[in-house]
Amino acid sequence: MLAVLKLLQTLLATLHSEGTPGQVAAGVALGSALGLTPLVNLHNLVIFALLVLLNVSFGGGMLGWALFVPIGFLLDPVFHRIGLGLLEAPGLRALWEAWYNTPLVPYTNFNNTVVLGSVIGWLALALPIYFAARWGVARYRATIGERVRRSRVYQAIMASRLYNIYRWFRPT
Amino acid sequence: MAVRIFRWKAIGVLVLVLAALGVLLLLFAEPIAREATEDAGSDLLGTEVDVARLDIHPRDVAVDLAGVALADPFAPERNLVEAARIGVDLDPYALAERKFVVRQLSIGGVAFGTRRERPARPPRRNGLAVQLVGAVRTWADQLDVPILSLTPIDTIRQLALDPTRLGTVQAATALVAQADSTRRAVEQGVQGLDLERTVDSARALVERLKAADPKTLGIQGTRDAIASVRRTLDEVQQARERVGALERQVRGGVDALGTGVERLDEARRRDYAFARSLLQLPSFDAPRIGKAFFGPVSIARFQQAMYWVQLARRYMPPGLLPRASTGPDRLRMAGATVRFPKERTYPKFLLEAGTVDFSIRGDGPLGGRYTAWARGVTSAPALYGRPTVIAASRRAEGAALRAVDASAVLDHLRRPPRDSITAVLDGLGLPTIDLPGLPVRVEPGKGRSRLMFVLSGDDLSARWSIASDQVRWAIDTAGRPLNGMERLVWRVISGLRDLSVTAELTGTVASPRLSVASNLDDAVASRLQAVVGEEVARAEQLARATVDSVVADKAAVARRRAEDVAAQARERIAEARQRLDEAQRQLEEELRRLTRGAGDLIPIPRVTPPW
Repeated sequence: MLAVLKLLQTLLATLHSEGTPGQVAAGVALGSALGLTPLVNLHNLVIFALLVLLNVSFGGGMLGWALFVPIGFLLDPVFHRIGLGLLEAPGLRALWEAWYNTPLVPYTNFNNTVVLGSVIGWLALALPIYFAARWGVARYRATIGERVRRSRVYQAIMASRLYNIYRWFRPT
Repeated sequence: MAVRIFRWKAIGVLVLVLAALGVLLLLFAEPIAREATEDAGSDLLGTEVDVARLDIHPRDVAVDLAGVALADPFAPERNLVEAARIGVDLDPYALAERKFVVRQLSIGGVAFGTRRERPARPPRRNGLAVQLVGAVRTWADQLDVPILSLTPIDTIRQLALDPTRLGTVQAATALVAQADSTRRAVEQGVQGLDLERTVDSARALVERLKAADPKTLGIQGTRDAIASVRRTLDEVQQARERVGALERQVRGGVDALGTGVERLDEARRRDYAFARSLLQLPSFDAPRIGKAFFGPVSIARFQQAMYWVQLARRYMPPGLLPRASTGPDRLRMAGATVRFPKERTYPKFLLEAGTVDFSIRGDGPLGGRYTAWARGVTSAPALYGRPTVIAASRRAEGAALRAVDASAVLDHLRRPPRDSITAVLDGLGLPTIDLPGLPVRVEPGKGRSRLMFVLSGDDLSARWSIASDQVRWAIDTAGRPLNGMERLVWRVISGLRDLSVTAELTGTVASPRLSVASNLDDAVASRLQAVVGEEVARAEQLARATVDSVVADKAAVARRRAEDVAAQARERIAEARQRLDEAQRQLEEELRRLTRGAGDLIPIPRVTPPW
């Protein structure tokens, strides 16, 4: 229940934040990496650092993460095929051999089919996700955003203390 | 207002998060690594691996493990090996590439075959090793071990057989159907030859030409007549070719019928054996007795060796091609993790050379200090360039256990791989063996045990033997009293003080052959033969007669039908040939008569029979 409430808070707070649609969309695009790719991997530490350091919507990042986790699970077989195809491609074998035998690189798990396939998948989807999110946020704010802001449900959700945590990372 | 790209203030938060992660890692690295070692070890070896404690020494790039136990994959209630301490020094450069190159390995407090406090859990994942355990069990199950039946045979008076379970009946039914089908095919084939038209046409032409004289026909008339004869001869020739094709087809059908008749005989032999098995007659063949007594215990030894060799082949494959294995266990799909071995780089795992001094605790015969060494234990033998060698030995003159020598050479440098294991234990207290089918067990006492197991490609050559001169026999009649034959066997074997068993495994992995010989075989076989041989012969006669009474008529009918059809088919073909020969002969005669009259103006066709 708390997770659903938090997701709603994040969603609403992000949509009504002072951040521009571009900042929210960039956050969603970065956060989608956390959802689309297996979480416990080095590249996601980099994504997290970018979410924190770049002036993008952190809430958008969390929203992207939450939204894309189920999609990631659904797409795992596709990611596996993409990764396997790349790892078994004769033309790329020299590259993989070099990476596999380079210090620290193997810790990225690049040689796992799902990790590689999902990272490639995310890279391919990042721009479409960004543009779709930017368009969606702009449309939302231009149409029903103000009415939602004045609704009692919004007031009730935003009154929760969890909203304060979000405010630490809201875009400026 | 321009939007800033970086949120510099967040660096502090990021550093804090990273620091918190670092602290968590320091606090929980060892428990996590211990659990990961247990899970990975269990998955890799297909049996439970327990680690009581794991200490990481980051400065020395070393790991100490305590209380390590490896359960027996085929006997979950005991440990294959236990080690009180294992120290591992790793190569830091290889570790940076996520590879485990062991610079030094020390093992202490080793014990073999200890009883577990609780049975080993089956591994969580149905990984390669678990599948291999199943595959090796299936492999072992195909080894034929006869059951020594010591049912009193004087109680056998009759034998009832269900005809539907007899192969001869099925084979006879199939043969009759096949014969009918062949007969129909021959009939249709003969009709399809359309011989009547060809022969009638030839006969009519011959009749017509007989009445004609070349002198009255003139040159043109004679030429036309000869052309007609030629055409008809061509038709005869074509018909002859059709007959040839039919003959080949008929020959195939007749051959199949012959095979069916042979199958009938084979099926009857199998039915005799089946009927005999229903009577549960004891076998007096010495090799069968040895196999029945000591087959299971021999198979258990070979099964262990086969499992570890096959496991080594899976984890130490020859060549340098990329290798995929199942990815890590996680909520998301595991996928496959591909390794990319490359020349002049570290393999994923390597124990380059290790000398291990270990001692076996306790005052038992195995107790004492041992020396073991290993070289080139690696996940990529082609990178290491030499076969893996593992050896352990102990010498203790005068001690209860005089010598232990065990070694394994795994040559996976190229295909086909060749693996060999040899072990000699002299002065060892040999384990008690229960004799299958009898409430009797043999306690061999101290003796000598040898194991030699070679798997070259898929070719097997293995030998396991035990020998002892301090044998004791024990009988447990609490469950049921012995019958007469069992008492006889007991009298024979309980008088023996020596035991010598040799089991040999040959053939290929797909089709292994097991033979077992022991000094009990001849003794037991000759005594049984002398006492109940006549009864067994009578029972076998009964089994054969019962089978014959059920199948004789059906088999005879089927055989007769097959022979009749084969004869008819040959006859029809011969008849067709004869008719064509006759037509051809008459046509050629007319042709000669016509050409004699026409002189050299018209060339005479040469007809060469195809046979």
